[in-house]
Amino acid sequence: MTDLTLAALLPALESRFGPDVKVLPSRKEVLGVVQVKVDRLVEVARFLHDQGTFTHCALVSGVDWIEHIEVLYHLWSDALKGYLEITVETAPEDPHVPSVTSIWRGANWHERETWDMLGVRFDGHPDLRRVLMPEGYRFHPLRKSFELHEPEELEVKARHV
Amino acid sequence: MSEMWINMGPQHPMTHGLWNLRVKVDGELIVDVDPEIGYLHRGIEKICEYRRYNEVVTLMDRTCYVAGIAWEQLYIMAAEEALNISPPPRAEYVRVLSQELQRLSSHVMWYAAYVQDIGLMTPFLYGMRDRDLILDLFQSYTGARMTYEFMRVGGVRNDVPVGFTDRCRKVMDWFDQRLPEYEKVCDNSTIFLERTKGIGVLKAADCVNDGVTGPMLRAAGVDRDLRRDRPYSVYPELDFDVAVYDAPDCYGRYRVRMEEMKQSVRIVRQVLDWLDRNPGPVLAEKVPRFVGTPSPPPGKEIYVERRGYPKGRGFSAMEEPHGEAMAYIINEGAEHPYRAKLRSPVFVNIAASKDYLVGYRVSDIPAIMGSVDICVGESDR
Amino acid sequence: MNATNTSGTARIITHVKETDPMEPEVPFAEVEAVQSKEYIPVIKETLTGMIQRGLDAATKPVFNWAGRNSLFPLHWGLACCAIEFAAGFGARWDGERFGVVPRSSPRQCDLLIVNGTVTWKLSHKLITLWEQMPEPKWAIAMGNCATGGGPFRTAYSVVPGVNKLIPVDVYIAGCPPRPEAMLDGILRLERLIRERRA
Ligand code: SF4
Repeated sequence: MTDLTLAALLPALESRFGPDVKVLPSRKEVLGVVQVKVDRLVEVARFLHDQGTFTHCALVSGVDWIEHIEVLYHLWSDALKGYLEITVETAPEDPHVPSVTSIWRGANWHERETWDMLGVRFDGHPDLRRVLMPEGYRFHPLRKSFELHEPEELEVKARHV
Repeated sequence: MSEMWINMGPQHPMTHGLWNLRVKVDGELIVDVDPEIGYLHRGIEKICEYRRYNEVVTLMDRTCYVAGIAWEQLYIMAAEEALNISPPPRAEYVRVLSQELQRLSSHVMWYAAYVQDIGLMTPFLYGMRDRDLILDLFQSYTGARMTYEFMRVGGVRNDVPVGFTDRCRKVMDWFDQRLPEYEKVCDNSTIFLERTKGIGVLKAADCVNDGVTGPMLRAAGVDRDLRRDRPYSVYPELDFDVAVYDAPDCYGRYRVRMEEMKQSVRIVRQVLDWLDRNPGPVLAEKVPRFVGTPSPPPGKEIYVERRGYPKGRGFSAMEEPHGEAMAYIINEGAEHPYRAKLRSPVFVNIAASKDYLVGYRVSDIPAIMGSVDICVGESDR
Repeated sequence: MNATNTSGTARIITHVKETDPMEPEVPFAEVEAVQSKEYIPVIKETLTGMIQRGLDAATKPVFNWAGRNSLFPLHWGLACCAIEFAAGFGARWDGERFGVVPRSSPRQCDLLIVNGTVTWKLSHKLITLWEQMPEPKWAIAMGNCATGGGPFRTAYSVVPGVNKLIPVDVYIAGCPPRPEAMLDGILRLERLIRERRA
């Protein structure tokens, strides 16, 4: 079953992985939205890569929902000509997600960026360093608890401490 | 031989921006590379969360400064998806016109900078002169040369002025003459051919696995162009070919860009004809007021509590001059985006640099990295 | 008076106290100094200093004139403004007719045009570049970002104004400034150099 049509793909995922995979209502600009349990992520990814023709991992990103952190994967299939959206939920304190770099090398820097910006640790990543902020920076700026200020405000604060 | 690491950057004539290519060399041979970026990280994704939907457009221009309007449209498409607004058809055509003019100017800029790096000075002057003609066109309908702030949620800010289409046609005629001349300069130059052919090879399978997109991917023979494969805006109604070449090296990338410029001229002509025939509005009628009106920036409590408007998520992908760019906007019902994520093709193309640099000489680095077409504003955001 | 001389004076005092009236009035150490011809370098230094000053007074206007008419800016690109910087040296504006030739090495430059956003990650690299440039040198902050942070002034990673790091002579407003504005900024800097010195 190398050439899955879209109609066959999502049921195949559900039957293979059972309750660990949940197909969410789709939007018109993606092929489908699939929610995956964290511990089965690599298996699902391998299945999609090998049997679902999703050869190109376009984007790995994350969203801070305060109650939890959502990690998003957008995968492109040349056969189906569209993007599949995979979402994974993880805890806000010390979030851990398995890395998919062993399947798509292109995910490497996207995962580094997600670690840099949101503080999500990708287990099994070969080289999880900060990529945009300098090494040794203490914050993860895209967390909602990190707020922006006018530079003067910061200076005033620093002077009054 | 002993190996050593050398830094090429952040200030280096090869980099075309600020980033640092650390290369491990054994004599002249490159053994390992470790690119380091982030010197221009301006926190655009974070600032977006503090701006109204229309105010974000300002930041998008500055994200990629050689292809500002491409990023405007990318963001606007995702935001329209998230807010559930659709623009009138004439606005779509003006957008596509801007897209293709921008692709032309971006590729001309690349041509000017790249061929100068390789050792030919004339193309720089040719390129900069012809690029200014396109920027003049932009200036006549957006008011700026580089940072346009032209697109709005639900359309574009204003229509093209009277007489614009004729002026634009003249520039396109000029480009019809110039593009063969560009090619002649390079293809008749032994220096150019020697320094680009068979250099910086990245095979198709590696391209796909590394996530490399754009002219690099098409030069490797992979026939993928989002304008045709995942049509957005009014591209399905336009007639154009996808430039593909079967040499995954610097020369192939140059060929693909040259061909894309010709196709852009072709698309612009079709759009101009359509614009002449179909007058109409360029901004949607029912746009919620909050997308543009100013208000104090939100604190954390506003994210959580003020979620009165309809919610939605928007995802858009488009073929930007450098490759496939994506935007992901989450609208949580507040007046500002809850999260704006941008995917830059250059970011991924730099990340894969180990695969196309190792095994070549240090003196090949400018030729190889130049052919990637790096825009640091975009990769660092 | 230079350093060798002061140490000599200290010895003089100790000697003067011990001398008897029969000894000549000239302190012993000074005689020693005269005999060992230590004074020659001192005189030489004073003389060369005088000549130098005279020469400087005569040549400085010439060098200043030459310098301000051929400012060599550093060829680098920080952000969006760098594209307009490049356009300023393209076919239409041709900045080189003002003798402004971008060089790639900071050691050949006397003008640093900060053409874009400066981030904290870059800040010490920028200072290194500035320190590598030989004196006399000038700096131009091109665009709103270099002047005061521009649209990104609230961001966590951006330096709000490059004058927090290096001294700036001329600020050019605009986001980005047009190439004409950049060339005007360079001409204004030339005027500033003329008024300050020469
Ligand atoms: S001033 Fe404007 S154009 Fe210049 S670097 Fe800053 S944002 Fe870019």
